[in-house]
Amino acid sequence: MTALVIWQFLWPFGLIILVPVVLGAIGGSAWRVFWPLALALVVGVLMQHQVRTNMDAYSSKQILDVGIAIILAVSLTIVNGFTGQFSIGHAGFLAVGGYVAGSITYYGSFALFGSAGATLGTMSGLYGAKEGAAFVTGGEGLFLFALLAGGLIAALLGVVVGLPSLRLRGDYLAIVTLGFGEIVRVLIQQTPQVLMSKDAIAAAKPLSVPLSVGGSLGFGNVPKYTSLFWVYAAVVLTLIFAYRLKQSSTGRAMLSIREDEIAAEAMGVKTTYYKVWGFAIAAFFAGIAGGLYAHTIGISLSPVDAGFQKSFDIIIMVVLGGLGSISGAAIAAAIVTYLPELLRTPDTLMKFAVVGVPMLVIGGALLAMAGKPDQGPGKKRGHDPRAFPRAVIGLGVIITGLSILAFVAKRFGINLSDYRLILFALALIVMMITRPQGLLGVRELWDGALYRPLRDFFSARRAEGGAA
Amino acid sequence: MDTLLQTLKDALTIGSLYALIALGYTMVYGILKFINFAHSDIVVLGGWLSLVIATKLLAWLGVDLAAGGVASWWVGPVVLTLAMACCGLIGFTIERLAYKPLRGAPRLNVLITAIGVSLFLQNSGQLQFIFGTSPRKIPSLISDATLFSIGDVQVRLLDLVVVGTAVALMLALEYLVFHTKIGRAMRAVSYDVRTAGLMGIPVDRVISFTFILGSSLAAAGGFLWALNFSVIKQPADTSWVLLGLKAFVAAVVGGIGNVRGAMLGGLAIGLLEGFGSTYVNPALRDVYVFAALILVLLVKPGGILGKAVVEKV
Amino acid sequence: MTSTVSSAISMTMSDAAEVLKGSGAAGESLEVRGVFKSFGGLKAVQDFRLSLPPAALYGLIGPNGAGKTTCFNLLTGVYRPDQGEITLGGKSLIGLRPSEIAFTGLARTFQNIRLFGELSVFENVKLACHLRTTHSLAGVILRSGWQRAEEAAIRERARALLQVFNLHDRMDESARNLPYGDQRRLEIARALATGPKVLLLDEPAAGMNPQEKKDLRKLIREVRDVFGVSILMIEHDMGVVMDLCERITVLDYGVPIAEGTPHEIQKNPKVIEAYLGKE
Repeated sequence: MTALVIWQFLWPFGLIILVPVVLGAIGGSAWRVFWPLALALVVGVLMQHQVRTNMDAYSSKQILDVGIAIILAVSLTIVNGFTGQFSIGHAGFLAVGGYVAGSITYYGSFALFGSAGATLGTMSGLYGAKEGAAFVTGGEGLFLFALLAGGLIAALLGVVVGLPSLRLRGDYLAIVTLGFGEIVRVLIQQTPQVLMSKDAIAAAKPLSVPLSVGGSLGFGNVPKYTSLFWVYAAVVLTLIFAYRLKQSSTGRAMLSIREDEIAAEAMGVKTTYYKVWGFAIAAFFAGIAGGLYAHTIGISLSPVDAGFQKSFDIIIMVVLGGLGSISGAAIAAAIVTYLPELLRTPDTLMKFAVVGVPMLVIGGALLAMAGKPDQGPGKKRGHDPRAFPRAVIGLGVIITGLSILAFVAKRFGINLSDYRLILFALALIVMMITRPQGLLGVRELWDGALYRPLRDFFSARRAEGGAA
Repeated sequence: MDTLLQTLKDALTIGSLYALIALGYTMVYGILKFINFAHSDIVVLGGWLSLVIATKLLAWLGVDLAAGGVASWWVGPVVLTLAMACCGLIGFTIERLAYKPLRGAPRLNVLITAIGVSLFLQNSGQLQFIFGTSPRKIPSLISDATLFSIGDVQVRLLDLVVVGTAVALMLALEYLVFHTKIGRAMRAVSYDVRTAGLMGIPVDRVISFTFILGSSLAAAGGFLWALNFSVIKQPADTSWVLLGLKAFVAAVVGGIGNVRGAMLGGLAIGLLEGFGSTYVNPALRDVYVFAALILVLLVKPGGILGKAVVEKV
Repeated sequence: MTSTVSSAISMTMSDAAEVLKGSGAAGESLEVRGVFKSFGGLKAVQDFRLSLPPAALYGLIGPNGAGKTTCFNLLTGVYRPDQGEITLGGKSLIGLRPSEIAFTGLARTFQNIRLFGELSVFENVKLACHLRTTHSLAGVILRSGWQRAEEAAIRERARALLQVFNLHDRMDESARNLPYGDQRRLEIARALATGPKVLLLDEPAAGMNPQEKKDLRKLIREVRDVFGVSILMIEHDMGVVMDLCERITVLDYGVPIAEGTPHEIQKNPKVIEAYLGKE
C-alpha cells in the first residue's frame, strides 16, 4: 500500500527523468530536455499550490483563463507572426483539439473506469481534489494522452489548412482559414447527442460513439481535470518551445518568409515546407489549449468555440502584442483576458493614474531634454533619442487614459465591461495607425535591441555633454 | 418541379442580394487591395437604420400597421434612400478616419484595421441604446400578398421588389462604372493607384466616392435583406458575418475587383447554396459556399472573370 | 566611412576565406542554351544563350526593358522557360523550384533590394548560411548538441562574412536601417552565404556614389578571386561593366544581339544602334 502511494507520487518525477534520458540518448543533450520539463513541473506545482491556496476560486479561474489564452496567442504567433501567413480561423484548431480530447477522456473514462466522472489527483481540477487523493491518478494519464491526441489531430488539420497557403497569399489565405473555421463549426453542429450512460454507449454503433459530442447543444460533460498545474506546465513548455523555435534556423527560415517570400526562396528556404510546418505547429498548440479549455470546470464546449469571434479574440492578442513576438503575445494575452475584470472595478482602474500621470510628466520632461535625431553625415541612421521619451509618454497616455475612462464611467454609472469589445476594437484601430508593429514588434522582452531607444537617449545625452 | 422552381426563386433572390453586397467588397478590393471586413457591418447598419427610419416615419405619418394600416407606396423608396445616404456617410467617415491614415501601409495592417472597424461597429450596434441585442420585426412596407403563382410557387410583390431593386441598383452601378467620368476614374485608380494619381486623378476623392458607393449599396442590401426575411437579427449575430463572408466569397468567385464578376459570383453562390441545401443537406449550406471558394481559389485563383496577377520580382 | 571599406576588405579577405573555405565549391560552369520566355503575347526573352565558365566575371547589359532581369528570373527558377536548356555543372535546372536552384549553387541579388528588413543584419546572413546545413524540428525541440554545434558554426561563418563586407559593426541593426550602399553590399554577402558556385548580381552599383562604386568594383573582383565563384552581373554603369567584366552579352528586346570582350562590344555597330538608335 505504501509502495503504491510512493509510486503514485514518484512516477511523474520518474517520467521527467526518463523522457529526457531517452530523448537525450537520441538527440544528444539530456539536460536541455530535462530542464524545461522540470521547470514546467515546478511552475505548475507552485501555481496549483500557492495560487489556489491564496486566492478565491474566481480569481484562480481567471488566472487559468490567462494561461490558456497565452498558449493560444503564442501558437498563433508561430503562424501569423513567424511565417507571416495570416490565419484567421485559429479557433477551428482550438475546437478540434478540445473536442477530440474531450471525446477521448469522456468515452475513454467510460471504457476504462466505468463512468465519466473525473478521478482527480492533487494536481488536477481547478478546485483541487479531496483530501488524501493521489498525486497523479490514472484518469490524469488519460487526460494527458487526450491532450496530446487532440493536439496531434489539430496539427494534421493544420497541414491540410496550410496546403492552400502554398498557392494563396495574404487576404485570400485569410479568407480560406476563416472558411475552415466556419466549416469546422458547421460540422461540429452536425454531431449526434452525447451518450450519457454505459448502456447508451453499448447500444450505439461503435464508430459513432467518439463522434457523439452533442452538436449545437454543446459538450459539457467532459471530466474536469484542467487545473492551474496542467495549464501552467503547458504554458512553460509552449513558451520554451516557441523561443527555441525562434532562435533556431527553422524559426529564422519562417521569419524570412514573412519578410520577403521571394528573397527567402532565392536564399534556398523551402517556403512551402516551412509554411506548412508553421501551420502544423501552431495548430498543435492551439489543439492543446483547446484540450485544456474543454476540461475546465464550468466550460461547455460548443460549436461557437470554432467560430470567427473566438479567432478574432486571439488575433487581437497577437496583433496588440506585436506580430512575431512571443513575449508580446503572452503579455497581450494576459491583458486582453484580464482587462474585462479591471473594467468591472473602476476604483482599481482609477488608481492607475498614480503611475500614468508621473509617466506623462517624466516622459514630457525627457522629451524636452532629448536632442534632435542624428542626421549628420557618417552618423548611423534610425537612432532617435526621442524614441524613448515617446514610448514613456505613449504608455503613460494609455494608463492615464484608462483611469480617466474609469473615472468618467464611475461618475455616470456606466459599466465599462459592457464596452470591453468596443474598447478592444478601438485599441486595434488606433494601434494599427500609431504603432502598427504592436507593443513589442518582432522583438522579445529580453532582446537588447528593444531597449535601443533607451540607449540612444542616454548616448545622445552623453555625446551632448561631451561636446559641451 | 415545384421544388425546383421554389428553390430557383429563393436562390435567385438571395443570390441577387449577395451580388449587391459583393459589389462593395469588390470595388474596395479593386482599388485598395484589402478585404473590407467592416462591409458586412455596414449591411447590418443599413438594415437596422431602415428599421428605425421606417418605424419613425410610419409613426410620424400616423400609420399603424398592426391596426391594419397600409404604408403608402413611397415609404419604401424613401426609407431606402435615407438608409443609403446615412450608410454612405458612415462609409465615408470610416474610410477617412480608419483607412486613409494607412494608405501605403502593409496590406496586413489595413486588414487588421478593417477587422477592428468591424468589431467596433458590431459591438456598438449591440449596445442597448443603439440597436440592442434582440432581433426585431421590420414593418412590412411592401405588401406580401401573392401576385401570381407558377404551379405551387407563389410570387409576391415583395419578391419582385427585392429582386427588382437589386437588379436596378446593379444596372445603375454598371452604368456608373463603365459609362461615366467618375467611373473611368475609378477604373483607372483600380488599375494603378500611383499612375492614376500622376495622371491628375484625385485619388483620395475617388476612393472616398468608392466607399460611399459601396456602403450605400450595402445599406440597400441590408434593407432588402430585412424586408425579404421580415425579421432583422441583432447586430453581432453570426448570420450577419456569414452573410458578409458569403458575399465576399461571391466577389472572389466572380473575380475580385471585377464589378460584373461580383454580380455573376453572387448569383452563382446563391444558386449553389440554394440547390445544395434543397437537394443535398440543408445543414451544410455554409460548407458548400466555403468549399466552392477553396476550389475556385485553387483551380482559378483569379476567379471566373478575373485574371491571375503575377508578382513582379 | 566609405574610404575604409576597401582596406578592411583586403585585410580580412584572406583570413575570412580560411573560415569560409568549402562554402563555395567552385569549379562548375553555367550553360544556357536557346532559352525562350513569353508572357502572353510579349516575347520577353528569345534564344538566350550563355556559357559561364568557373571563376569568370561576365556582364549582361542592354537598354531598359531588354529582358535582363527576366533572364535572371529564368536562371533562378522564378519563371520557368518555355523552352531551352539551363545546366549548372551538367545538371539541368529546368523545372526546379528557386530554393532547389539555390541549393545547386546559384545565388542572386535583386534589382530592387529584397532584404529581410525587420531582421538584423546578422540574421539576414545567418539565414542564408542555413542552406548547407541539416536541421530538423526534433533538433529544435531537444536543442540537441548537434543542432547547437551547427548554430555555432553558422554564427561563425556569418560573422566572418560580415567582416569581409565590413558590416560587422552593424550586425544587430535591422537591415532596413542600413544606408543604401550597405544594403546592396549586405545583399551580396547574403547571397555568398548560401555557398554558391555562381553569383548573379542585379545592378549592384545602382544608386551608389562614385566612391562607393569604386569600392564595389574592388569588392566584386576580390569576391571572385578569393571565393572562386563565377559572377554574372547586370549593370547599367558602363564604367563598372567595362572595367570588371571579361566578357559581355548584350540583350535588346529580349534577343542577345552581341557577345564578346568589352573591347569588342564597344565597337559592335549593333550594340551602338541598340543604345543610341540608327542614324
